Amino acid sequence: MLTGCNARSYVARPCYGLGAVEDASDAELVLLAAEAGPQRVAAEAVLCRRFAPRIELYGMKHLRDRERARDLTQAVLVAVLQAVRAGRVDDPERLDRFVLGTCRNTVSRMRQHAARVPLASDEAIAALPVAAHETVPLLAFSNCLSKLESRASRILVMSFVEERSADEIAALLDTKPGNVRVIRHRALAAVRQCLDAAGSSRP
Amino acid sequence: MSAVKPHLDWAGLVDYWAGDLTSEDSAACEEHVFGCQACSELSARVAAVTETLRTLVPLVLTPELLAQLRARGLSIADNPMQPGERREVLFPARADILLNRLCGLSLERATRVDFVMRAESTGAVLVAEDDVPFDRAHGSVLIACQKHFAVLPPDTVAEVRVRDADGGDTLTTYTILHRF
Repeated sequence: MLTGCNARSYVARPCYGLGAVEDASDAELVLLAAEAGPQRVAAEAVLCRRFAPRIELYGMKHLRDRERARDLTQAVLVAVLQAVRAGRVDDPERLDRFVLGTCRNTVSRMRQHAARVPLASDEAIAALPVAAHETVPLLAFSNCLSKLESRASRILVMSFVEERSADEIAALLDTKPGNVRVIRHRALAAVRQCLDAAGSSRP
Repeated sequence: MSAVKPHLDWAGLVDYWAGDLTSEDSAACEEHVFGCQACSELSARVAAVTETLRTLVPLVLTPELLAQLRARGLSIADNPMQPGERREVLFPARADILLNRLCGLSLERATRVDFVMRAESTGAVLVAEDDVPFDRAHGSVLIACQKHFAVLPPDTVAEVRVRDADGGDTLTTYTILHRF
């Protein structure tokens, strides 16, 4: 909800009640965080909450390690907030592109330095929220997997444990890659539903 | 004309997490996810399953996967069992996997192998998997017992049913009393 604004720093844009900051657009949050005003902290916190899960997912996909994905999340958020404060985000409307670009650059640096590297100060890291991620109980997961038909289960194992492409799996199972894809996404949906029914914790 | 991009669907996100998109499609998928809360949440739901799968070792292993796991550096304690054998087996503290190697099976002409694990004391079925992989050359089925199985009853009877090309149907049991 917008409130009346009488602060000189907000002459060009509206002021927000505390609850409304949560609903502000990315561009509005960038503008709020760029000013050393009373809503900077709230705006930065919302930006972190909004982007931390997306950055961690990107890290999981490209680094394949949850700890390194968390390192990435912290490093990227610190870099983004520093850029926001310094007015270095050229197009606040496309903050998502800026964050993604920062992710790509940071992952590239992390790959060059194979070991985990401290990319942000301890103080900066301590101030950031931890991205919420789902913890899947392994036994429930195994139970859900065992309910699949053997062919579907085999395709999931070949895809995600043996790291084979749909083309490779199709050749091995004498079928078409399109069939492998369909069986794979349906099987994963069945496991997802089974986990939800079993009460797996959700983010 | 609406500038709103259509949302990603489950199937597309599964292909993304499986690494089965072209680099261009994968980049486009990431760009959309970064700007879309709904697709970010859906992607997280897919990833929770796929990334757990990557860390999970299947219950029944192929010889090839066993070799991969060894190559990855997992500590695997080997426990060969003979048909009808009944004994206690300790899951070593430092092991990642206790490999219950169910040996002595006639698999030369096997067309299908089904596996069931029951609690000896109650008869309750703990795990049932049909058409499992097997090691034809060595006449064995490879069962990967894992630490999170410690919550299951420790007294287990492994039943292996082998069907062969001649219509034969053989049931072999192994009683494994696990200690974690």
